[in-house]
Amino acid sequence: MTEASMSNLDYHVLLAMAEGPRYGYAIRNAVEDESSGTLSPRAGTLYRVIARLMGVGFVREAEASTEESHPGRPRKYYALTPDGRIALAREAERLRGAAALAEERLGRLTSRP
Amino acid sequence: MNGIARALVTLLPAPFRRAFEEEILDQIEREWAAARGRGRMAAWIYAASAVGDLLRTACMERIRPTWVPDETTTNEMRGGGERMMTWMRDLGLAARSLRRSPMFAVMVAGTLGLSIGANGAIFTVVNDVLLDPLPFSEPERLVHIEASAPGSDLPEEFGVSNEFFVEYAKLTDVFDGVARYNGYTATVRTADRTERAPLSSPSVSLFRTLGVEPILGRLPTEEDDGTAALLSHGAWIDWFGGDEAILGRSVEMVGQMRTVVGVMGPDFEFPFDGIVAWLPITIRPENVTPGRFGTVLVARLRPDVTIEMARERMDATALTLPELYGGSPNYARLIEQHRSVARPLEEELRGWVAQPLRVLLGALLIVLLVACANVTNLFLVRAERRRLDYSVRRAMGAGRVELARTQLAEVLLLAALSGAVAMLFAWLALPVLLSAAPQGVPGLDEVAIGSATLAFTFLLCATAAALCGLVPVLRAAASETGVLGGRTRGAVGRRSRGRDALVALQTALALVLLVGSGLLLRSFQELSGVDPGYETTDIFSFQIAVEDEPGMVDGFAFARFHMDFMDQLRALPGVERVGLVNNLPLEEAVQSARFRPDGERADEDGGPQLSMNYVGGDYFETMGIELLRGRVFTEDEGLENPGHVVISARAAELLWPGEDPLGRRLYWPQMETWETVVGVVEDVLQDDLRYEVSPMVYFPMVGRTATSWDLQSPAYVVRTNRAEVIAPEVRALAREAAPSAPMYRVFTMRELADDNLLSLSFTLLIMAAASGLALILGTVGLYGVLSYIVAERTREIGVRMALGAEGRSVQRMVVLRGVQVVVVGIVIGALTALAVTRTLGALLFGVSAVDTMTFVAVSLAIFLVGVLASYVPARRASSIDPVEALRAA
Repeated sequence: MTEASMSNLDYHVLLAMAEGPRYGYAIRNAVEDESSGTLSPRAGTLYRVIARLMGVGFVREAEASTEESHPGRPRKYYALTPDGRIALAREAERLRGAAALAEERLGRLTSRP
Repeated sequence: MNGIARALVTLLPAPFRRAFEEEILDQIEREWAAARGRGRMAAWIYAASAVGDLLRTACMERIRPTWVPDETTTNEMRGGGERMMTWMRDLGLAARSLRRSPMFAVMVAGTLGLSIGANGAIFTVVNDVLLDPLPFSEPERLVHIEASAPGSDLPEEFGVSNEFFVEYAKLTDVFDGVARYNGYTATVRTADRTERAPLSSPSVSLFRTLGVEPILGRLPTEEDDGTAALLSHGAWIDWFGGDEAILGRSVEMVGQMRTVVGVMGPDFEFPFDGIVAWLPITIRPENVTPGRFGTVLVARLRPDVTIEMARERMDATALTLPELYGGSPNYARLIEQHRSVARPLEEELRGWVAQPLRVLLGALLIVLLVACANVTNLFLVRAERRRLDYSVRRAMGAGRVELARTQLAEVLLLAALSGAVAMLFAWLALPVLLSAAPQGVPGLDEVAIGSATLAFTFLLCATAAALCGLVPVLRAAASETGVLGGRTRGAVGRRSRGRDALVALQTALALVLLVGSGLLLRSFQELSGVDPGYETTDIFSFQIAVEDEPGMVDGFAFARFHMDFMDQLRALPGVERVGLVNNLPLEEAVQSARFRPDGERADEDGGPQLSMNYVGGDYFETMGIELLRGRVFTEDEGLENPGHVVISARAAELLWPGEDPLGRRLYWPQMETWETVVGVVEDVLQDDLRYEVSPMVYFPMVGRTATSWDLQSPAYVVRTNRAEVIAPEVRALAREAAPSAPMYRVFTMRELADDNLLSLSFTLLIMAAASGLALILGTVGLYGVLSYIVAERTREIGVRMALGAEGRSVQRMVVLRGVQVVVVGIVIGALTALAVTRTLGALLFGVSAVDTMTFVAVSLAIFLVGVLASYVPARRASSIDPVEALRAA
């Protein structure tokens, strides 16, 4: 997967894991919060994204960090791989560039008399 | 929701499911709890979106898997649950592979779907009309009874006379009830409605014989003595709004007050659909006049009694009748010739519908076979193309079973697709079919697509899948890794021989169908070309029931009314001639009686059996019935009858062979009158275009006295070039002349003639469609096979041409190959057709079931189509560039 083909959802899923390993529902919640509610992936869709990201080597299954453990059954945690971190960073870079471009143009537009 | 989710998760591909099932279920559980917290609406929306998400994931994951399993997971796939998953995967694979070749999928689903759907539609009709048991208790014990008298001049079969009924009813050792019945149209009058309605006057015993009970009130008894009436369910609702208070009320029917004692259930419409009421009558032996034939009977056999046993008893009983009832010497003679006729009631009621329906179902099943042959061919060609693919997969470790299963999944998927197309087509085609079907088919209005259609369609799909799919599945299972290196010539040859056989089969089946259609077409031509003795164009006909108009007291009054009304009709624009007839040809049966020609001894009451009709106005001129000798009736004879008759040519020949009939007299024993012949007219086909001409005696409209005969509402015939559109004007005129008289039985002669041909034309239409379809499928099949062979042999042909073979000889080679196959098919088909066209039997008219001309013409046509279908690929073969061919191969 190249950065260009990374979807908005891919980006947010990677982003959700950037602070450390997370389990599925936590990823889903993080995605929803961090996308200001615009993304709210249902289970099937979410895990297809995770599966694909695992397939390209951006995500791996991880050991649970003890402080984040929840009551109930044991969960699988997912974490970024070094490649995943790089990909996320590049995508963030690309987005920042794109955002800056947009702001610049909009700024020019709005500053017109 | 969680249960649904657990079920849906099983649809996910196994590896993906293994990796994520728990997490997915966990997320759904939590989301579902959260959604429910937001209210019922939110919960529903969430549930829908979650279900959609899972289905979508299941599909997407199959089409573009994101989760590729490692070795360990594949090897684990063995258990019972996993088998299902394997199937799902195979179906997914098959769906993908079909998406890649949409033409193939469309061809297969289209060919099979249409032919299965057509079968489904006809089957629905067959099922609802023929296979539903008659709505009587133990209908298989009911028999229809008539009489025959081989060697007499009576029709092949005719109704019995009442003394037969009285005596048969005493045969309690063979019958559990005997009833007589009839059907006719007469006036029914309530306070607010007067109409001519279909009625029946059965014996009181009819209902118990058939084993039916009223839903309201009671059955009639002998004590009612001809005063009771039972309403049909339809009439009860339609005429009386389903009012239960109808019981005990009096209704005027056939000019008599009848007390309604019961209402029958909606299923009971006997002897025909749309009947309004039954007016049971009591037959008393002391009132029976022997020899009044024309009554049909229905009887219930006792259990364990066969039709044959019943017939023996009836034949023996009939022989005692002259002794018991007296009668003329002629009657005694007839009784000696008498043989009872008995057959299952079901056959009597449905037999005439059954034959065309069986023929059609047979024809469509043949089409399905042709379609299956075509689809098998498509599968074979596809399998051929995939041989390499299969070899690769075999080489990579796929088992035979696995390959066969993949192929089977494709077959099943296509069968399901075809089934869907078939149901859709049946659903669309059924209304069209029903609207084209002949009138009067019992139970036709209840025909509808139902579970039986579904089951039959499913059965056909399964059969078709088995027929078409067996070979490709076996072939997939037999895939070898060996073919990777190169192609084996022998195998190709063997396979194309298999396809040749299929094409020969298709040709044979198409020929059978085309011969069938050809024979029906010739029958139709023959029947359309029959000269009925009258014209069928530009004639409008109707009746009005004037018997309740004031002043209609006797025959003369009726005659005066009709004369006046004919004058008014003549004044309508575009009307050329107007006449009257008691029984319109093709519409109503005529009575018949024996007439004795003058010159024969009076003590013999013999003489030929002649049909009778009563005419007035310009009947003969209006109908275009040609006057051969003498004259037709004058207007005065219409009003006052001096005892003159007009006879038909056939009657003249029977009465006075080779003599001049004009001025001769004939004796009518029933009325004890002598009639003088004033004219001879052309013969007519009175009842049916298929029958022979009836010898006719035409009487003027009125009898000698005011009451000698009682012709209340004859049919008017109006010759006008506006026959199709004149009805409203006539109706307006009738309302003025006779305000309370209903106008009914409104037809054009054209309609009657077309209706007479309808059963045949309907069958012909469907047969033609079926055989056309078979021919197209067969042609496509032949073309496909030859094209494929040419493609296969491109290299060989290239070599031949490089070695100096001419284009023409290559063409000839390919065409010859096609022609060989077609000729084999034609021979097989012709032999098969010889055996099966017999089933058309009574549908044929004026043409033999083994008509040489039809056989030759159809064979020739198929041969030509075969040559054409071969020629196109042959042209392609001869234009092969040797260099290109060798390089490509």
